[in-house]
Amino acid sequence: MGYFELIVSCILVNNILLAQFLGNCPFLGTSKKMETAVGMAMAVVFVLVLAGVITWIAYTYLLVPYDLVYLRTIAFILVIAALVQFVEMFLKKSIPVLYAGLGIFLPLITTNCAVLGVCIINIDKEFTFMQTLVSSFAYAVGFGLALILFAGVRERVLLARVPRPLQDTSIGLVTAGLLSLTFFAFRGMV
Amino acid sequence: MREMIKMVVVLTVLSVVSGGLLAYLRTATAAQIERQELEFVKGPAIRQILEGATNDPVNDRFKIDVDGKSHSFFVGVFDGKPNTVVFEVAGKGFADAIGLMVAVNVETDKLAGVAVTTHKETPGLGAQAKEDPAFAAQFVGLPVDQPVKVSKDGGSISALSGATITSRGVCAAATDALSQYRELKPRILEHVQRFQQ
Amino acid sequence: MAKTLVQEFTKGLWAEIPPFRLVLGLCPTLGVTTSMKNGLGMGLATTFVLVFSNILISLMRNLIPSKVRIACFIIIIATFVIVVELLMQAYTYALFQTLGVFIPLIVVNCIVLGRAEAFASKNGLLASTADGLGIGIGFSLSLASLGAVREIIGTGTFFGHSLFGPNYEPFTFMVQAPGAFVALGLMLCMMNLIGKK
Repeated sequence: MGYFELIVSCILVNNILLAQFLGNCPFLGTSKKMETAVGMAMAVVFVLVLAGVITWIAYTYLLVPYDLVYLRTIAFILVIAALVQFVEMFLKKSIPVLYAGLGIFLPLITTNCAVLGVCIINIDKEFTFMQTLVSSFAYAVGFGLALILFAGVRERVLLARVPRPLQDTSIGLVTAGLLSLTFFAFRGMV
Repeated sequence: MREMIKMVVVLTVLSVVSGGLLAYLRTATAAQIERQELEFVKGPAIRQILEGATNDPVNDRFKIDVDGKSHSFFVGVFDGKPNTVVFEVAGKGFADAIGLMVAVNVETDKLAGVAVTTHKETPGLGAQAKEDPAFAAQFVGLPVDQPVKVSKDGGSISALSGATITSRGVCAAATDALSQYRELKPRILEHVQRFQQ
Repeated sequence: MAKTLVQEFTKGLWAEIPPFRLVLGLCPTLGVTTSMKNGLGMGLATTFVLVFSNILISLMRNLIPSKVRIACFIIIIATFVIVVELLMQAYTYALFQTLGVFIPLIVVNCIVLGRAEAFASKNGLLASTADGLGIGIGFSLSLASLGAVREIIGTGTFFGHSLFGPNYEPFTFMVQAPGAFVALGLMLCMMNLIGKK
């Protein structure tokens, strides 16, 4: 598969939020305001690329040679948790400006299943190092795109009069369904 | 300081216990997992294609190494002659990869049948490739030296309604399998002889 | 004592039933509920992890230093997730294949970590077990009912059996990705309607 196809597939066709259903908790949780959505999207791009690459290296050069493939889940989640801690400390000390923007979202990312999910998908599809790098980035961009689009729609929904039982999460999910339908149109393209 | 030591000790003990438990469980389940894989994913598909064979095709199998990867072939015996081999190839479906078992009659060089093993296609649409026997039946008897295509692309397979991409994926996988078969035929024939009854 | 245990158990079935009342664990809820069987399987796998990690964390709650508690929870939960992975591969292989990536992802299911942090690390063994069972069974019921609704409307079958005969044209939207969001949104709306009375 060429890199262009891979990018289109990861961003649009197999969008991590709307087609693969990974990372839906922050999707609904941080999409009420455009500002938080943008912050979350940036944090995910940052961590996902690092996590994808590091877990790939750990899997290929540690787990496979020592026949520990079955420990994948536990190894990956520990790598991600440690990575997030490390990024948080690093940003706080070295780039306080970025930390002020992303800081509060970082702890949430450990339990964001989009991150662990993409790491596992990369391994399951037997990607090479470059493919892993590209797909992690593209999935993260897809996450950001869907989240920001959704936040835009949701800010408008706040102004509308919604029947009481449908309010909040309920109407949010139906809206997400419509957004998912638009992304569904890309299916079968790649 | 004491707290620090406690943290390290607890984390280490926890990791060691967890690692030990998992290593034990993995050895305990390894054989069962392999058997399940044969029984549930490949077994039904193989038996379905080789209906009427007088042996148990899941047991009569051999392996051929191609470029360092080993491929399993299953042999079907009909009328006392081991004349059909079955092997698995992967194709690209609508949602994800599709596993396809392909059977070839080595005497007549014709497709003896196909069956989908693993897939993540849409239930009711693409999933029909596995569930609708009429779709798979169309592949029986096709010659091995021509690519398999859906009728839209000038072939003989009529696609599943609403699932052209799945149907194309299955056809492409079958075409792939046939070229693999043509390449490996001499080696396959060598192995097949051993199953003569 | 007995009464509170019952309360801990039953709150998971209605008052705090995930993912409706406790809006957590949405990913598996949306991802695997294309049929009732998948939903139920996913729910039971999560219940297994939830109950055992609750038990272990509750037993160890005085040993775990508070600074590294999240790391300890993650190790314990991940261990049980791998146990489930191996057991499912060994005994329910087909289901394991369909649920795919969502089984390892139980590790990051906010419900499991949430119960560990909010309940098991502060309560005794029996209460934590009851809490884990209640929330787990509640989650399984939600997934199974959402799966059933989507399966009945989307493919016209219930637990794999055809309901309306061959003339029913399935509303396949429901079993595809966008349908998942809409179905869950509408079910949440219904829960709100019933709850408000």
